[in-house]
Amino acid sequence: MSAALQTAEAPKILEVDGLTMRFGGLTAVDGVSFTARQGEITALIGPNGAGKTTVFNCITGFYRPSAGSLRLHRSGGVAELHRLKDHRIARAGVARTFQNIRLFPGMTALENLLVAQHVPLMASTGFGIAALLGLGAYRKAEKAAVERAIAWLRATGLLERADDPAGALPYGAQRRLEIARAMCTGPTLLCLDEPAAGLNPRESEELSRLLRDIRDGTAAEREAPTSVLLIEHDMGIVMGISDHVVVLDHGRKIAEGPPALVRNDRHVIAAYLGEEDAA
Amino acid sequence: MAYALQQLINGISLGMIYGLIAVGYTMVYGIIGMINFAHGDIFMVGAFVALISILLLIAGGVMDGPAALLLVLAISMAFTALYGWTVERIAYRPLRGSFRLAPLISAIGMSIVLQNFVQLSQGARVKPLEPQLVGGFEVMREGDFVVQLSTMQILIVLTTLVVLAVFTWLVTKTPLGRAMRACEQDRKMAGLLGINTDRTISLTFVIGASLAAVAGTLYLLRYGVIDFYVGFLAGVKAFTAAVLGGIGSLPGAVLGGLLIGLIETFWSAYFSVQYKDVAAFSILALTLIFLPTGLLGRQEVEKV
Amino acid sequence: MIARLVAAIRDAALATVVAFGLFVIMVGLRTEVSPSGALFLQQRWREIGLLCALVFVGRLIIALWEIRPHSLGQSPRRAAFTLKLAQIFAPALMAAALVLPFVPGVDRYWLDLGILVLTYVMLGWGLNIVVGLAGLLDLGYVAFYGIGAYSYALLAQYYGFSFWLGLPLAGILAAFWGVLLGFPVLRLRGDYLAIVTLAFGEIIRVVLLNWVSLTGGPNGIGGIPRPSFFGLPFNMSGEPDTFAGFFGLEPDPIHRVIFLYYLILALALLTNWVTIRIRRQPIGRAWEALREDEIACRALGINVTTTKLTAFALGAMFGGFAGAFFATRQGFISPESFTFIESAIILAIVVLGGMGSQIGVAVAAVVMIGGFELFRDLQEWRMLVFGAAMVVIMVLRPRGLVGSRTPSIALGERKAIGASHVSEGRG
Repeated sequence: MSAALQTAEAPKILEVDGLTMRFGGLTAVDGVSFTARQGEITALIGPNGAGKTTVFNCITGFYRPSAGSLRLHRSGGVAELHRLKDHRIARAGVARTFQNIRLFPGMTALENLLVAQHVPLMASTGFGIAALLGLGAYRKAEKAAVERAIAWLRATGLLERADDPAGALPYGAQRRLEIARAMCTGPTLLCLDEPAAGLNPRESEELSRLLRDIRDGTAAEREAPTSVLLIEHDMGIVMGISDHVVVLDHGRKIAEGPPALVRNDRHVIAAYLGEEDAA
Repeated sequence: MAYALQQLINGISLGMIYGLIAVGYTMVYGIIGMINFAHGDIFMVGAFVALISILLLIAGGVMDGPAALLLVLAISMAFTALYGWTVERIAYRPLRGSFRLAPLISAIGMSIVLQNFVQLSQGARVKPLEPQLVGGFEVMREGDFVVQLSTMQILIVLTTLVVLAVFTWLVTKTPLGRAMRACEQDRKMAGLLGINTDRTISLTFVIGASLAAVAGTLYLLRYGVIDFYVGFLAGVKAFTAAVLGGIGSLPGAVLGGLLIGLIETFWSAYFSVQYKDVAAFSILALTLIFLPTGLLGRQEVEKV
Repeated sequence: MIARLVAAIRDAALATVVAFGLFVIMVGLRTEVSPSGALFLQQRWREIGLLCALVFVGRLIIALWEIRPHSLGQSPRRAAFTLKLAQIFAPALMAAALVLPFVPGVDRYWLDLGILVLTYVMLGWGLNIVVGLAGLLDLGYVAFYGIGAYSYALLAQYYGFSFWLGLPLAGILAAFWGVLLGFPVLRLRGDYLAIVTLAFGEIIRVVLLNWVSLTGGPNGIGGIPRPSFFGLPFNMSGEPDTFAGFFGLEPDPIHRVIFLYYLILALALLTNWVTIRIRRQPIGRAWEALREDEIACRALGINVTTTKLTAFALGAMFGGFAGAFFATRQGFISPESFTFIESAIILAIVVLGGMGSQIGVAVAAVVMIGGFELFRDLQEWRMLVFGAAMVVIMVLRPRGLVGSRTPSIALGERKAIGASHVSEGRG
């Protein structure tokens, strides 16, 4: 994989510039800047408490950054994420999963994926009136939505469990369903918060393959390649699939680059192993 | 000026009563995260127990002096606490760890039960009690208007302060208080560390109910009329006070109670008596909209 | 066995001691007002003895039979069973409701009771949209019921609106108020939302009570026009332009009652139809998703505020319809009909029925309101029984009668989802 070469060429997808987040007196993220590029998997790593999830919550709009800017480059132009509310960010094309899975447990896997397509479906219902009366345009839109959901259920190996409540699925399946749900929003950038947490080695392997397929646009039928930003603790996965790695420690960026480079960075080793050992 | 001062005095004494009830709401909410909807009716039961014991003492010819009042207070606290304990035991404990709405519905049911129980056992008629404490001081005089500070109002303020002081000591300095705070933070962990959480929660209800009993007694003595329905409005207002002060915060509950008492009194005095409840409820809505954590509540960061 | 008996007796004895403590003052000494206006106490030792004996026996039975709270989770098989039962039961209930006026022996009393029950079924279904589907705890639903009733009454009184014109307007006005009140408060969490909606309900009632020049205050509004049968009034004259005259029937006051019965049945079924349809639409799925996890909804681009508002407004609208119906049926309304207890009863119907379940709500309304009526002879005791029933049902079945949920769409066969998976919302 010519990751290093691509880094120089691929157009930007997400530009994080001087991102700072303070909670009261505590500065959780301090002037972090990095760029995620189109068609790449960018990993955000760092020891516990490094501020990874906070960066994530800023990007996805759950926190409003204290300072700095977040720009999403899409085909339609640039979206200034730091100015948008969370549901607007999702509509702008950023989808996310959560560290502790947040599915709709009482709804079936299929329903979960249909809720994800709420925005386009709602537009086709004419404020619900057309849908209430069962008019044609809505039926067509719903059929397309179900097809897309089926495609993603197949891609994540959950087709047989389509009618089971999400809360009844095994842990690994719930993780995959959450990714499928995020992908059903048709994002330009997929943000994953520790997608491999709690998975066994075989499931991790499958997850790596799924993420590569999502990046390359081969995961499900008729899906465009999607750039991925992920937080991950499992270094095996990070090193195996990322094209670009950003390392945070104590709220600051300490290194950035292709996995091979980052792995041997002195600051990174110090951050993970502790200061004394590195000295 | 004199008129305003009189309202200030009236407002504070009313606010103290709300504050005492509000502490019960805030404690229960803090420890098990539910609105104890029946708490207002516990207050009403407290007022009735006080009324009956006063009548008993009058019949026995010993209703005289501060000792008698203390006795009334003690009787009311003891019996009302038993009601608090029973309500928790019957309607809430079996639902612990259950779905969130179940305890609320159960609490509303309990509130209906208590109201109708008292209506049945004591009759639906309003009970007027002759003033037991008369007299007071003239604070100031402006033309014809005399600002009065009645003995009753002094008693309310003093009793409330003493009760709250004891209560604060109980919560901050004793093992029971520590157990309560531990349960508030993390009930499961507290249980693992050997705290008897069931007992702690029971005691929370007992303490909350005795404070409500003090409020009920003072309310009876101050206003002299009660019926089985007084608990509803007083309860909602006290809950408002708890929210205004920041739910979970004990000083907040008292502060909120004072504010609600003052707002209500001044609103009645200067605007309209009919709409005084609207004023209290509007404050509640506005607080929750603009200051969801209340005046002294802790800021919560949304966990994602 | 002996050990168990001894333990049970000890348990019962303890309960009796507590009961004695509870009753000795509050029941044993009754405050009476003498003719002179002074209070005196009346002693009632017999009643205490009776109550304590009751508690002893009751507690003994509970301890021996080991009545335990219902397990929280419902197994899928059980859920499927409830669903099957509901599938059979729903058409049966529906058929019974349709033919009720023509069943021999059903007189005015039964029809009036039917109208009352159906009003609560409709209110329950309306509130179910807000509480059961969207997971928003609304303790002030009666406000919209009241707004609907007063809207129609005032429109009729001041502008001479007929029922058929007033009904949709009452619904629209209630929905409008729902949006107005809902907008600022819908971002509040669970219990806070509950208490603010309660406050709104009370504010509306106090305003209705005190705005005497408009609403007549505590005296209420009388002479509210009765509905006509598509322009044909119901009266006793028997002329050709009345209902009886037009259809060549003997004029009979029962005609109007039967008409009102079918009117509320139709309104309730409309509520049901809209709810069932909407559940399968994106907006309905968004409501349920909101109940399950609001944060996840936001991450999927769903505008949480407008989604909540639609649920709130739609629920309010049906409340408004029911209110207009109530006004036209009674012909007289006053603020007394719209107290907090009404909200509590409607909410209890929704929760006891099983949140989100249409048939559950209908059954709960029949049981609660019908049962309440059956206990008419108990008079002042029945409110006590009513409250106690709420507690007991919650303790025994915290998830209501039908706790399971039917998926809104399925690739294969629709399977009921057990209650343990379904959330009830924090908002």
